[in-house]
Amino acid sequence: MAIEIQKDNRLGNVEQRIVYESGNEMAAYAAHQINYHIMGYFPISPSTEVAQFLDLMKANGQHDIKLIPADGEHGSAGICYGASTAGGRVFNATSANGYLYMLEQMPVQSGTRFPMVMNLVCRSVSGPLDIHGDHSDLYYALNTGWPILMSRDPQAVYDMNIMALKLAEDPEVRLPVLVTQDGYFTSHQKRRVMTIAERDDVLKFVGEHPPQGFPDTLDRNNPITVGPYMNEPDYINNCYQQSMAMYKAEEVYDRIRKEYADLTGRDYPILDMYRMEDADVAVFLMNSASEIIKDVVDQLREQGIKAGSIAPNMIRPFPAKAIAEALRNVKAITVGDRADSYGGHGGNMVNEIKAALFTHNVKDTLVISRVYGLGGKDFYAEDGHALFELAIDAMNKGAVEKPFDYHGHTPGDPTKKPERVLEPMKYEELNTGLITVTPNEETGKLKVKIPPLRALTKKPKRIAPGHGACPGCGIFSGLELFFKGIEGDIVALFHTGCAMVVTTGYPYSAHKATYIHNLFQNGAATLSGVVEMFWQRKERGELDHLGLQDDFTFVMITGDGGMDIGMGPAIGAALRNHRMIILEYDNEGYMNTGAQLSYSTPMGHRTSTSNVGKFQGGKVFHHKDTAQIMAATNISYVFTGSESNPQDLLKKAAKAQWYAQNVGLVYGKILITCPLNWLSDDKEGTSIVNSAVDSCFFPLYEIEQGVTTITYDPEAKGKRVPLSDWLKMMGKTKHLGKPEYEETLHSFQAEVDRRWTQLKAKHEHPAL
Amino acid sequence: MAQQLPKVNELGFFEIRLESIGGLGANLAGKMLAEAGVMGAGFNGVSFSSYGSEKKGSPVKAHIRFCDMSTNIRDTSPVERPHVVGIFHENLSKTVNVVSGIYEDSTVLVNSTNNPEQLKEKMNLVGGTIAVIDATNISLEENNRVNMAMLGALFRLCDFLDPQIMKDVIRKSLEKKYPQAVAPAIRTFERGYDEVKFQTFALPQGVEMPAFVRQDTPVLGYETQPMGGTIVNPGNSVLKDLSISRSGMMPDFDEDKCIHCAACDNVCPDFCFVWDEGADKRGRPQMFLQGIDYQYCKGCLKCVMACPTEALSDIRETEGYADDKRVAHRHNFAAGV
Repeated sequence: MAIEIQKDNRLGNVEQRIVYESGNEMAAYAAHQINYHIMGYFPISPSTEVAQFLDLMKANGQHDIKLIPADGEHGSAGICYGASTAGGRVFNATSANGYLYMLEQMPVQSGTRFPMVMNLVCRSVSGPLDIHGDHSDLYYALNTGWPILMSRDPQAVYDMNIMALKLAEDPEVRLPVLVTQDGYFTSHQKRRVMTIAERDDVLKFVGEHPPQGFPDTLDRNNPITVGPYMNEPDYINNCYQQSMAMYKAEEVYDRIRKEYADLTGRDYPILDMYRMEDADVAVFLMNSASEIIKDVVDQLREQGIKAGSIAPNMIRPFPAKAIAEALRNVKAITVGDRADSYGGHGGNMVNEIKAALFTHNVKDTLVISRVYGLGGKDFYAEDGHALFELAIDAMNKGAVEKPFDYHGHTPGDPTKKPERVLEPMKYEELNTGLITVTPNEETGKLKVKIPPLRALTKKPKRIAPGHGACPGCGIFSGLELFFKGIEGDIVALFHTGCAMVVTTGYPYSAHKATYIHNLFQNGAATLSGVVEMFWQRKERGELDHLGLQDDFTFVMITGDGGMDIGMGPAIGAALRNHRMIILEYDNEGYMNTGAQLSYSTPMGHRTSTSNVGKFQGGKVFHHKDTAQIMAATNISYVFTGSESNPQDLLKKAAKAQWYAQNVGLVYGKILITCPLNWLSDDKEGTSIVNSAVDSCFFPLYEIEQGVTTITYDPEAKGKRVPLSDWLKMMGKTKHLGKPEYEETLHSFQAEVDRRWTQLKAKHEHPAL
Repeated sequence: MAQQLPKVNELGFFEIRLESIGGLGANLAGKMLAEAGVMGAGFNGVSFSSYGSEKKGSPVKAHIRFCDMSTNIRDTSPVERPHVVGIFHENLSKTVNVVSGIYEDSTVLVNSTNNPEQLKEKMNLVGGTIAVIDATNISLEENNRVNMAMLGALFRLCDFLDPQIMKDVIRKSLEKKYPQAVAPAIRTFERGYDEVKFQTFALPQGVEMPAFVRQDTPVLGYETQPMGGTIVNPGNSVLKDLSISRSGMMPDFDEDKCIHCAACDNVCPDFCFVWDEGADKRGRPQMFLQGIDYQYCKGCLKCVMACPTEALSDIRETEGYADDKRVAHRHNFAAGV
């Protein structure tokens, strides 16, 4: 915290209130006080909670922000951009890969000069997926043209979020502003935080309305053209304007922070300097670690070492001159970068600091660069001591021994090298011969024969036990039931989601067959590449040495979330008709990130972004019909399935394999339970999906070569139940039984009836 | 300030670590404990949990630090040297060093039916105070949650906190939505507070408390880890023991009643059913269910629901039962394993 806690109550001239909350909660809290017009968002850890808290507050009627669940971060950034051109106040929060997915929108937002505020809850951007906090996403923000404010703890998150809007909207700045905090370290740690008690006081500070006099897209009397095509003679001048505005932001921020200090007693100077007055050695760190290092400074000072810490509250614009001046008399400084700029001989911060020293003629300060804390590796006081040791050593020797290195990496013990645990599965065992698929010569349709399920227990499971899914998770029973219908070898690609995360916690893998994970939205494209490489290499004879007895079956596994953000690539792969299967496990939400709504979440269902309260009754729009969307690509086979009807699913798996090996892309969707987030009993999983099927919410059918067949008709069998019978089995839908939600339930029932009737018509008329 | 912290570390913190499995409510208990200290008792503090891919049933930790109002809170690293450890599931000690970093005057609270002597052995404790509470049993008897009983016991250990504040918080947070849950929750909390038993074990002469190992110490390193993060060890998750994921109940297999229909196998999320080929009455090859590999069973009981006969039933897990009745998968291990 920028100032001592005990002073808080005495300073400032506004009424304040103490809360005990985390960084994410404080970002949401500030946003709700500002009462932004629009937030477009998409879930990604660790920033997702910001939208969740806002949704919860919305359900309780605490603000009027329109929260828009986007189809991905690219979409969320688009929503925010559009909203900002339309003249109101706009807010967003994201992290890591989500930030990179929206990256191309960032320079457009700043280059066309539309203010907004976004929280970047910093997290690693990585190949092997690491969701914890480092600054690798933040470093991509450095060149986007957004001023960047730093928040070291939840208090700073709150304060910076209020100052950020004022900075963004300042007539001399007019730029979108990024507020950053460290993922988990700040976003998820609860602290005492002082808040401005009254919303009116917040609005008085930031301005009741955005400053007038700037064009927007809703002014019918003054039509404008946003984002013209601009060639080289003019573009450089637009950039120059932007550059000027960015440098101006330093001055404006300095003014705003003083006003804020007068108001609240909390001051955030551009550089947060701790015991730097006479420091011989210093450490430069950002955000949460720059607090921990202060304890280390105190300890070193007790030993008589003149240590100090320097940390920026703003890194765009980069306070180059202030840093150079602060270091003029420092003999040696270790700069810790929480992200590498591979090949750059140091992270972004150390190189900018070195440039600042050079520019401002500070020649005698020795600079040591260390990359630390990647992927959320904790920063302990002992790490701080190690960084100071380097500076002290350089000071004593008058030279830097190793200008650049990592800190906190470990070589590993050669005796504990991983040894292979299992032999590969045998092809003969995977290819049981018990399942036969034969095309009918007349109709061209497939005829499938499957043995009793008992016989298929002989077939090895593709996924090994030992995965870390929740008890009662429906994903794995569903997937393995499907795989029982697949003969021979598979290559699997899993989209980001629970199934991926719980099977591959390094250094363990539950995948006995080859498995790939790429980005959340990009599985269909990725597997397309694998499939076509298989055919290329096979045709060139490069796989002959493997003696493959049959072609692989390529299967992409995705959740319903992956089919939201990855809808475009999935449709692309279907239109190109690659020989592969897309199997979606639908658990009606983004369960891996904490049960946010997906487009497949049905109407009225409670999720962490469709809360139930006095002012909101769960999700407000109907569930997505992904099977019909995929059918519209005219692929040869589309199906739905459930573990409640195992023979049905198995037959469909066998057909799927035949079409994927012989014709092209297949899409299937299985409904699976998530007891944790459906708030249902672990053991009830199969019964719940059975009820969903019998209620006709999730009809079992297939579309083979364009012809729809309902493969299990609960009506015909006299087993159809009303939706309410299914909904009462889950905690997330209990409220729908209450009279005040009758209208929602009715609307949901009507939609289910409509889709079922349409499906029956298609079943009856092959031409439909 | 009404109360003083009984002891603090060099930075001025009294530190608590909760060791649990996801789903038992340790995160919530930690949050409530911290809030009671910060918002109710006038201390400053910070609280957080381990986050990541951990799901329900996986080991999790919650961390709480208390200090007086004049102490700056700067540390965000996990609690490595706790004054109090609260262990929500005693079998965690099989896979996690739950007492890592304790001082010789730390208190280790365990949810257990065992006595302190037995627990000292099980936890590999050299010295310190063991506090025992049978939170699972209390919660079953009171029809409430384990974390309430643990919270009661933790309040007894943190006597600088006022249990009345906590009871008020419990009442307030439940009475609107779940008024019928208030009394059981408070009773469970009170029984946790009242029924916890202590025993202190002096550190033997010449023995030192073991040093802690940082929680972020990996087994592999940059010299031993395959390039690009690729795992070249298919299916090595079979080495994992997931039995701690069970929270009291387990399926029991009665072979005599089994018709080998595979309904259980179709719904099991954790692939626990072990099959073998034999001959049926007419001598034809056929698959027969051998039993359950409890190493992977998380106790969801879906199989019990799916079983058309009474071959599978749910029973309360007792110590040693799973080990005795386990039918192990015959994995196709590579040479040398």
